[in-house]
Amino acid sequence: MKREIKFTLNGDPVKIEVMPNEKLLDVLRDRLGVKSPKHGCGRGECGACTVLLNGKSIRSCITLAIEVDGQEITTLEGLEKNGMTELQKSFLQHNSFQCGFCAPGMTLTATELLKKNPHPDEEEIREAIAGNLCRCTGYKNIIDAIVDVSKKG
Amino acid sequence: MEYKYIGKDAKRPSAVERITGKAIFVDDIRLPGMLYAKILYPKYAHAKILSIDTSEAEKMPGVVKVVTGKNIKHPFGDCLHDRLPMAVDKVRYIGEPVAAVIADTERHARAALSKIKVEYEPLPVYTDALDAMKKDAVLIHEHSEKYFYVTPLYKPTPGTNIAITYEIKKGDVKKGFKEADVVVEDEFNFHHMSSVAIEPHATIALHHLDGTVEIWTANVGPFAVREQVAEFFGKNISDVRVHIPHIGGCFGYKSDPGIEPLVAYIASFVPGRPVKLRLTRKEDFTSTFIGRGIRARVKVGATKDGKLTALEETLYLSTGAYADTGSNILIVAVQTSGGVYYFPNAHVKGYSVYTNTPPVGALRAYGHPEAEFAIERIMDMLARKLDMSPIELRKKNYITDGKTNVVGEKFKKSDGDLFKCTESVLEAIPPKVEVKEDENYLYGVGYAGLIKAPKAATFASKGCHIKFNVDGTVSLNMAGGDVGQGLWTVARQIAAEALKMPPEKIKVYNEIDTQYSPWEWQTVGSMFTFQGGNAIIRAANKAIDALKRNASLVLKRDPDMLEYDGEYVYDRSYPDVKVAVKDICRGYVTEDGTTIGEVVDVTSYFRLPGVQGPDPETGMGRTGGSYTMGFQGCKVKIDKRTGKVYIDHFATSIDVGKVIFPKGAEAQVLGGVLMGIGETLMEEVRFKENGEIANPDLIRYKLPRIEDLPGKQTVKFIETPDAVGPFGARGLGEHPMIGVAPAILNAIYDAIGYDFKEVPVTQDMVKKVLEEKGLTVKDKEE
Repeated sequence: MKREIKFTLNGDPVKIEVMPNEKLLDVLRDRLGVKSPKHGCGRGECGACTVLLNGKSIRSCITLAIEVDGQEITTLEGLEKNGMTELQKSFLQHNSFQCGFCAPGMTLTATELLKKNPHPDEEEIREAIAGNLCRCTGYKNIIDAIVDVSKKG
Repeated sequence: MEYKYIGKDAKRPSAVERITGKAIFVDDIRLPGMLYAKILYPKYAHAKILSIDTSEAEKMPGVVKVVTGKNIKHPFGDCLHDRLPMAVDKVRYIGEPVAAVIADTERHARAALSKIKVEYEPLPVYTDALDAMKKDAVLIHEHSEKYFYVTPLYKPTPGTNIAITYEIKKGDVKKGFKEADVVVEDEFNFHHMSSVAIEPHATIALHHLDGTVEIWTANVGPFAVREQVAEFFGKNISDVRVHIPHIGGCFGYKSDPGIEPLVAYIASFVPGRPVKLRLTRKEDFTSTFIGRGIRARVKVGATKDGKLTALEETLYLSTGAYADTGSNILIVAVQTSGGVYYFPNAHVKGYSVYTNTPPVGALRAYGHPEAEFAIERIMDMLARKLDMSPIELRKKNYITDGKTNVVGEKFKKSDGDLFKCTESVLEAIPPKVEVKEDENYLYGVGYAGLIKAPKAATFASKGCHIKFNVDGTVSLNMAGGDVGQGLWTVARQIAAEALKMPPEKIKVYNEIDTQYSPWEWQTVGSMFTFQGGNAIIRAANKAIDALKRNASLVLKRDPDMLEYDGEYVYDRSYPDVKVAVKDICRGYVTEDGTTIGEVVDVTSYFRLPGVQGPDPETGMGRTGGSYTMGFQGCKVKIDKRTGKVYIDHFATSIDVGKVIFPKGAEAQVLGGVLMGIGETLMEEVRFKENGEIANPDLIRYKLPRIEDLPGKQTVKFIETPDAVGPFGARGLGEHPMIGVAPAILNAIYDAIGYDFKEVPVTQDMVKKVLEEKGLTVKDKEE
């Protein structure tokens, strides 16, 4: 039943045997020790489990591990290899997170946006992160942090 | 007064861990030999359990143990011991654990659940207090007379589904209504909602082979968890250790012991093996605490010039299957029924009633929003009847200096300035809408006052342990759970101010562990700044005194002749006669090595002074201790086609006494208001007739999203220094949610002339009213 998959995780090759119905989030968190994607709902509704698949944000809680065979997966652990990103610094500056549970998913989604579109307007920012839920902040400071980065560079 | 560190921007301790995804939450913890539990839930919300057959499940792959409730000897709790970690002979709500499978993986545990066979005898289901109170209602707890309660306040009424009854009597309410020229009466309903932190509940429990118990959990009441788990197992409290890693949001439902007693019970069947239970999002809705769920029947009287004369009210809390955690919410709602208004006469009675829903527990602002929703709505109705502006009516009746609330607590100037709060909101949102209607929208404005006290146990206390290090830095150890509200930041700023040293020299410990942390009751009631801040000041003063005593030995001066500036202790008349703090914080090492003086390592505590339990006869008494007041207002626009309510502008002004961490304070309001908008316009835990929850997921249970943000938010703080709070500061965290629902509903009335009396008010409800009133517009035919 198990099947071996190979993929690139944060730049490094990974080879692992998975069950056909095993979720990517569980493989990352429970088997590969990559803890920044969070389990919030298990149904793709909250965005806490967001990771990048070939640079595109996906919900790892509803993605089967076998689907990423041969692909590239990036999590916060990969983006931080040279220290905090500009976006993370801006989130700190703007007090854009409180408990921090949604922050990995939120910043990855914003990372994807800024890569595609380095200078989005506020409407585009709102649209990009509309699927990521945050219960603490009321979103305003999150938008401000992304706007700030979008004005630089 | 000028402060050096408080009221200024500050770095948040542990913020980098959180933003980089490195913060450790419970589900990130993996212990050696760890097993996983999954829970079996009942088919019915109310039923007798006739039999449970676990034999097939036990044979399933990976299964270590199947657990049922049959080993449970007695219920547990805090004020009323009516709770069970797992059903014993009946189930009382749809999310009640009936059995658990412990296995090597979650997958194996889940697979075995379906092999457990349970026979039930279904019973009638009640989800509303009014139904459960009917004379012929079947009892949800047949023997509530057997339950232990800490004081008669928490005594159930056996033979009925009524758990707690609480009543206050102030003045002469009959006389008050006689004096009234106008009387308004109505009923309001605040439906159940859920805290919905993005991190679902998770707990790990381990029974060591020596009989001690260790727990890792997301809960802001680690010492309460420790005490209740110890009592449940008949263990010494000192033999239970609770670790609190980072918490992914709380909002109330992670403050009472929740799933911890359950996981501890399950893990007791596999001594030596840690057992993890992490709830799915669905279980987080069905099997933890829900909040709100209060109906209020209110009657107020006033003279024709708008002076309130009497309040008569009955509140009904549908408290769910177990009443312990909801009992104080009912009591608080009764005590808060008068809101920010002075009533010379009041008679308010409340019932918390067993129903077949998940138990009601804490949810941001704890009884206050429910009660103040009713009073703030009826104030608008009264104003209309008096033909008076709702603002003027409010201002005429504010509890001001020397006046008392409905439980008889006298307010003083230092409790805050409601008039300033009101004025600053009116500046942002003037009480008159210029354009009431255009082609697409109807516009309206509405306002509400707000007030809240911690309403904690009278003995509730917070501790602060300060340890000076030999380089002159300080370690600050407290048990307050920073769930994101920023209390570690506030603690560091207050400590910096009190110890006269830059925050960078102060390290705030970020993991709570009952084995090392100083005792704290629970991090609830928005009282960390107030209590914890004072504990810090006390500990800082104690440490400074010790430093002065040490310096006195070195400098040969009496301690009271010495000054401390954070770096040195020096002679106040000859400042060059000095010794460095770092050289005296572990005593002073003299030239030949002989050491004199004491080690500067101190702990202090603080509780709200003079808080008392209510009088058994009248229900009155100093039950709040410290109040924070404020005012909120909003401008809404309502889409004539769809009925959607847009919040154009929301303004909040709160008299916090003193802002400690400005960015954090503002963030509490921004987040709190949006959560308030959620509970007003979309959030509701909906029950089917059979007690099932109709929307236990984030699609059908609507959480506010970015699109629900107000067009504009104004946040203002008034600073009337508190007489007791640290540097004059008062609590803030929960308050921004309190006035949101009545302000929006008052604004909806202003826009469409319809009084909604329940929340949430959904788009469909508004659309229906627009249609009935002929206010809709149809798109022109092309």
